[in-house]
Amino acid sequence: MNEEIKLTADLFEPLSEDEKNHEFIAAQSKTYFQDAWGRFKKNKMALIGLAFLSVMVILAILVPMFSPFEYDGMDLTALNEMPSLTHPMGTDKFGRDIFVRVMYGARISLSIGFSSAFICLVIGVVYGGIAGYVGGKTEMIMMRIVDILYSLPNLLIVILIMLIFGSNVISILIGICITAWIGMARLVRTQVLTLKEQEFALAAYVLGASRSRILFKHLVINCMGPIIVNVTMLVPSAIFTEAFLSFIGIGISAPAASWGTLANEARTLIESNPIQIIWPVLSICLTMLSLNFIGDGVSDAFDPKKK
Amino acid sequence: MQNAILKVDHVKTYFPVSTSIFAKKQYLKAVNDVSFEVGEHETFGLVGESGCGKSTLGRTIVRIYDPTEGKVFYKGQDIGRLKGDELKKFRKEVQMIFQDPYASLNARMTVGEIIREPMDIHHLYGSKQEREERVSQLLETVGLKPDHIRRYPHEFSGGQRQRISIARTLALDPKFIVCDEPISALDVSIQAQIINLLEKIQDEMNISYLFIAHDLGAVKHISQRIGAMYLGSLVEIGESEELYRNPLHPYTKALLSAIPIPDPQVMRKRAALDLDGEIPSPLNVPTGCAFRTRCPKAMPVCAEVKPELQTVGTSQVACHLYAK
Repeated sequence: MNEEIKLTADLFEPLSEDEKNHEFIAAQSKTYFQDAWGRFKKNKMALIGLAFLSVMVILAILVPMFSPFEYDGMDLTALNEMPSLTHPMGTDKFGRDIFVRVMYGARISLSIGFSSAFICLVIGVVYGGIAGYVGGKTEMIMMRIVDILYSLPNLLIVILIMLIFGSNVISILIGICITAWIGMARLVRTQVLTLKEQEFALAAYVLGASRSRILFKHLVINCMGPIIVNVTMLVPSAIFTEAFLSFIGIGISAPAASWGTLANEARTLIESNPIQIIWPVLSICLTMLSLNFIGDGVSDAFDPKKK
Repeated sequence: MQNAILKVDHVKTYFPVSTSIFAKKQYLKAVNDVSFEVGEHETFGLVGESGCGKSTLGRTIVRIYDPTEGKVFYKGQDIGRLKGDELKKFRKEVQMIFQDPYASLNARMTVGEIIREPMDIHHLYGSKQEREERVSQLLETVGLKPDHIRRYPHEFSGGQRQRISIARTLALDPKFIVCDEPISALDVSIQAQIINLLEKIQDEMNISYLFIAHDLGAVKHISQRIGAMYLGSLVEIGESEELYRNPLHPYTKALLSAIPIPDPQVMRKRAALDLDGEIPSPLNVPTGCAFRTRCPKAMPVCAEVKPELQTVGTSQVACHLYAK
């Protein structure tokens, strides 16, 4: 069959320059995060949320530093004042500047939100990652511990911790984090369970990579998308929990201020000076709203199906 | 065989399957008593239907799975007993190329990082600079451009990805590579390129292959000897040419008759040996010869005694038809 085909030199011609380069990749090489940022940018609401949050963070840092008023500086000559040029949000029943107090509250509320999300991220990823990767009995025991923790009444634990360690930022952080990392751990575990059977993980194993290298350099990196989405959802829920605790009076206590504390203080004056409660509540609402928009944007940005 | 680099000795790899807590524990018999040897600079082909345990056997050999019974010897050493530095040396010398070039590369690492990783793990070469140079060199060996080093795997085609994964295994200068269906996910013209690349590397670096595939043509081309596997057991081992010209086991005959011939007239004349029924579940392997439920020449003895591999001519076959 093959003998019938006669091959002569003139049947062949050299490849043109064009054809030689046809495997050249013209597109800019984009990392995963650049790609996700590109998609995030297209979401207007998420961008507005991000802008609002950035302004809030900057104000929270700068206003208490440069304002002539202290967050706990009382002025008995200016009680319950309406907003004016000197006091943009007015003063409270002790003559303290509400604008400075709201921004000081932003410091506490936001730092509790972000640091508890960070703590949950670290604990959840390590715990869930180990449980998922090691598997077997270890996993069984680790996940049952998680189930037990999850079944405890969250609020009760927080209140007990506040009773033992006192009402301060650290005990609120412990109280929030003690259960909030569970969602992250479960998420990472399921992701790692599916990823560890994939060939790239097996390849790393055959190459002789150590367990921690496979877990963190190969598996966790590949579930970064869902992890980040989860983190952006943790921040608002932590802020909300803190505000709630402070509002019912077991969180941050006066003269220190978080948004919940401020709302609680203003609550007593809601009939005579209703404007005072608007500022902390508005701050909570707008921050929560922008965090949720950011969360939505992030989860869309990391969803490969929306590419 | 005198200079065998790898010896598989009565290996069984079972997976426990639990349907419920109270059910009797069942085992999925993926590899059920397999023995063979691979010589230095040899390519041993392994063929069989999907699900017959080829990949599990390959993975047992590189010690992803531990065998339930039996042993694998690499250069005379029982790999199940390796620890510490010896295990590391084994990992360096025995490598695996995976089937799916889309799943076998970490999507978050650049090509350069992927190929450099084995050298980082084994602390090869003194400086990062030397490793980078070696990466470019390897890219060239497998036919990619050095400027691909900063690209991510998703920017490449299947064939190019398989080249990247070959470059990654070569970074360790391995002596034995298990190729787990390295070409089945690629289209035909690319398959030939990868096969040629594998052969070129074999000659340059003196490597032995265990070449797993279900594409019989490709296996014949690359292998010196071939083993046919059915439901976890080897049914026939033979020299590549001999096995194709003169298959002994009824299963091998059926397998070879399924190769399409690119000539309709020859194809029509050939009597196709169609097998009836499906491959039985490896959870419930038939007694005696595993193939008897589908074998056209099954005899009463097949249900009772499991045939052992015996030498017939230059081949070895596990079938009662050839009982002496």
